[in-house]
Amino acid sequence: MIRGRYAIPAALLATVGIFGLMAFSPSAAQADSTTPTTVASAAGGYAYPTPTSTTPTTSPTSSAPSGYGTADITLPDSFIAPGQALFDASCASCHGADAAGTSRAPNLQGLGAGTVDFWVSTGRMPLAISSIQATVKPPRFDRLQTLQIAAFVQSKAPGTGMPIPIVNLSAANLEVGGSLFTLNCAACHTITGAGDALAGGAFAPSLHLATPTQIIEAIRSGPGDMPRFSEGNLTPTEAHDIAAYVHGVIQHPEDRGGFGLGGIGPVGEGFVGLLVGVGLLMLVCFWIGERT
Amino acid sequence: MIDSSLRWVDDRLGIAKGGRTFLDKIFPDHWSFMLGEIALYSFVVLLGTGVFLSLYYIPSAHEIVYHGGYLPLQGQKVSEAYASSVGLSFDVKSGLLMRQAHHWSADIFLGSIAVHMARVFFTGAFRKPREFNWIVGVTMLLLGIVNGFLGYSLPDDLVSGTGIRIAYSILESIPLAGSYLGTFLFGGNYPGNGIIIPRFYLLHILIVPALIVGLLAAHLGLLVKQKHTQFKGRGKTEHNVVGSPMFPTFMAKTTGFLFVTTAVTFILAGFAQINPIWQFGQYEPFQISYAVQPDWYMGWLDGALRIMPSWEFVGWGHTIPLEVLLPAVIFPGIIFNVFFAWPFIEARHTNDLAYHNLLDRPRDRPKRTGAGAMMLMLMFMVFGASSTDVLANFFQVPLNSVLWFFRIAVPLIPVITYFVTVKICEEMRGAEGIGKRKPPNVVHRSASGEFSTVPAEARPGDGHEELEAVPVPAFIDMVPADLATGPGIRRVMR
Amino acid sequence: MSDESPKAPSLAPVSLEDPHLQPYAKHPGRAEALAAAAMVIGFLGFIGFGITYWISDQTQWEAATLGGGMLALGVGAIAWGKYLMPQGPFVEERHDFHSTEAERDAMTAAIVERGGMVVQRRKVLGGLFALGSTAMGVVIAFPLIRSLGPKPATSRQATNTDTSLFATNWKENSQLVTADGRIVKVADLDVGGVLTVFPKGHEGSSPDQTILIRLAQIGPDDPPFQLESPGRTDWGVQGYVAYSKMCTHLGCPVGLYQKLTQQLVCPCHQSIFNVASGCIPEFGPAPRPLPQLPLKVDAFGNLRSQSGYQQAIGPGFWERP
Repeated sequence: MIRGRYAIPAALLATVGIFGLMAFSPSAAQADSTTPTTVASAAGGYAYPTPTSTTPTTSPTSSAPSGYGTADITLPDSFIAPGQALFDASCASCHGADAAGTSRAPNLQGLGAGTVDFWVSTGRMPLAISSIQATVKPPRFDRLQTLQIAAFVQSKAPGTGMPIPIVNLSAANLEVGGSLFTLNCAACHTITGAGDALAGGAFAPSLHLATPTQIIEAIRSGPGDMPRFSEGNLTPTEAHDIAAYVHGVIQHPEDRGGFGLGGIGPVGEGFVGLLVGVGLLMLVCFWIGERT
Repeated sequence: MIDSSLRWVDDRLGIAKGGRTFLDKIFPDHWSFMLGEIALYSFVVLLGTGVFLSLYYIPSAHEIVYHGGYLPLQGQKVSEAYASSVGLSFDVKSGLLMRQAHHWSADIFLGSIAVHMARVFFTGAFRKPREFNWIVGVTMLLLGIVNGFLGYSLPDDLVSGTGIRIAYSILESIPLAGSYLGTFLFGGNYPGNGIIIPRFYLLHILIVPALIVGLLAAHLGLLVKQKHTQFKGRGKTEHNVVGSPMFPTFMAKTTGFLFVTTAVTFILAGFAQINPIWQFGQYEPFQISYAVQPDWYMGWLDGALRIMPSWEFVGWGHTIPLEVLLPAVIFPGIIFNVFFAWPFIEARHTNDLAYHNLLDRPRDRPKRTGAGAMMLMLMFMVFGASSTDVLANFFQVPLNSVLWFFRIAVPLIPVITYFVTVKICEEMRGAEGIGKRKPPNVVHRSASGEFSTVPAEARPGDGHEELEAVPVPAFIDMVPADLATGPGIRRVMR
Repeated sequence: MSDESPKAPSLAPVSLEDPHLQPYAKHPGRAEALAAAAMVIGFLGFIGFGITYWISDQTQWEAATLGGGMLALGVGAIAWGKYLMPQGPFVEERHDFHSTEAERDAMTAAIVERGGMVVQRRKVLGGLFALGSTAMGVVIAFPLIRSLGPKPATSRQATNTDTSLFATNWKENSQLVTADGRIVKVADLDVGGVLTVFPKGHEGSSPDQTILIRLAQIGPDDPPFQLESPGRTDWGVQGYVAYSKMCTHLGCPVGLYQKLTQQLVCPCHQSIFNVASGCIPEFGPAPRPLPQLPLKVDAFGNLRSQSGYQQAIGPGFWERP
């Protein structure tokens, strides 16, 4: 039965990218009548690997099927021009017209499409207010626009930086992902992915809303204070295992014991135990006994 | 039937006289006297659920490959202790309910001890002749905290393993003996040879509970011997106890309360998840999660460790880690010694050597109330300091600022609390009739324009008639008077 | 007997109509109905738990039925006791439980005089018995305490990490591997990357846990990366530095690295270490820098240690100089 539980998110994940691309079509069509054909061809060219299994493997070893997690999205050149228009309107005032950075914001050239995709798709960019750390908010741009901006920035330094990964978690290994998550991620994001405050006013964000693509982009690019995990550190397969664990377990925790109380551990539990447990029982005492 | 069996037992044990007195034992009716019962009944729940858990838990650090009901752990190398704890949550029917009920009742047990202790403290119930019972109670609090720590360390999950690591380092910080205590207890340098889990298990399920059971018997025995205290009131003196008899009134209420305590524990256990160890994973000494805290009753120690400045003494070829020793050994040592010694400290300070069976109102003892409020505030502040990171994250303020706030607030705010509390108590004492409902007044205006005020007559429901307290009757004439006097009815003395 | 005299009045029969024996409730019928309803709900709850247990093992339903049943039954019993039982109030006399002066004197005399008589006449026996029992108390502590575990090896030369307070398994030329045994190469990490490493053959060992950080992208021929720690300029290699992952405060793994500020933070008590200046503690309770592991690169591009740690790792202890 539990297998079934994980099968559903896994099957959904296998198509999440396609859904993402399809979802924008109506609005994109209004914006630009040539877009749908572009998208159709682009989507065809993304070459999602056919899932061999809808259930993540449960083998104890890390001998996962080789090759998953190694493919990247190739952004078509037709994305560059509309991407430049969007960049000029929303990004260039800080990052400069050619994305080379200004005194107010860093150089984006060479960071790659994946880095841009992470910052824009999580809503961190464009910045709403200047603070120590950009926060997640509803993204300003839809999926196509995000990819267009990414294509424009990528075109400034072709072949460098991190591309946008093609994420297919159908073959990912949750158990390996879990161990790697504990070793590499839990020290900042907490073991339940709730996030916590860091030194100097920074904070590790909650992982509960991150998409698998964003997770892998963050692992590879190391946004803000987060360390960068290169492929020599975490292989593409391992990065996908972590993304599968975050999506399948962290974001859908097995809270079979009742309400999760925010996943912040004994502090929350202590408050519930004292206020609800002892508090309720004191009220019962108040009923049983005299109150004068 | 009851008569003949009682005679049979009494012939052999002579229980009738003492038993009758016990059935007549008077329990004060005030609600605050029930608080200790929360602790008593939580302990009953702890024993019951604990026996269930011990049927399935395996106290072993032996490494096995997990094959159980929780998919993301399949095939991972885990300890038998961890695998059996996860198994209790997934593979044993009703196991998760029992596991969570055990953990919640531990939280409630220690919480209710704290509340009960506060009641005893603020009303002066610890004074002569009850110093022994105060000491027994404080000892049970100490043992309860220790057993709580031992218990939540047993699953060998990532969070509790971090706690054991910290406990080892605290042991190690003790001058001269520290390293020896560490390697002796753990069977070697941290993490030792895997013996710590079985040792904690033995302490947790046998030795400490046995001590608590013994002390609990002493606590209740002393209570029966010395009888309850009571608040001042009509008909209540230093030489009597007014309330409900053990049988049947108190027995019905307290049995009902046992059920209600159990119910609250089990409802929490089913609807509020506690310590989901399957989400944490097996403990490895090189892995760590952020936002790990001990359970709340240990939180004050963790908070003290966090706010301590990094003072380490190094000299003459030795190191004394004061940054650990002071907050984790000396500080709790002082706190508990103050608890133990308080009845004697206060008696010495007030030169009060009399018996006290009537309780104080907290406002009548401003300094004691102030001291108690100061201690509560200190505990609360240090507990708050144990979640600096969670607070910083919640309020979106820098971590360092939160820490500095607590470094200043922990010594400062309790002292302020003392003076504020003393002042409030003195003000309350100064105002007569405070806290009582004031009788309404009727204002009349005479024809000449003169106003006069007279107290209104009591209206129905304003007060209730109180009966004089009488001893519990031994013989009740079960035949109603009107029937008894009727023709053809024989009265039988029971 | 003095105990019985206060009970004497109660031995007289009391009429059932005595106001003290009347129920507390104004409307006993209603109270009885309430208690009865609660007890019926309690009964049904327990039946529900029984059924739930057999047909499914659903924790929430189990808690709702079992807890609900106990709650209802308990409420019923309390209502019975509070509203339907004799309202009282009843009183019980309190007696001095201490003994009379004469009894106290007698006990004191028994101890002092009888004891004195025996001890003064047989001083040798008393002394011998005290000696014997003291000796037993001491030697019985040997197995109780000493058998628990090995003595810590306090010598700096001791190499067994199971007992040594100072040793780790890091030696000259130890190869850096990950927790699952993968060999760490110099090309593996990007700038801003971190990795938990162990000496080969000791993967997962607690005292050996080391955090490898790449602070800069420096080629093999570039001048060495300058750390702000005197005497250790060649301990990093090609932008890599390695520090003990065991916090000097309480031994937690210092796994939280902030890339922008180059700080390591201990997740347990938030000690903050400045990596660029030799992991000096900048904030929080940790008293000492994290010990640094000197690194080098071998001919195959694998990272190795120049030597082991040159001081004791982890939290402070008495024997630490």
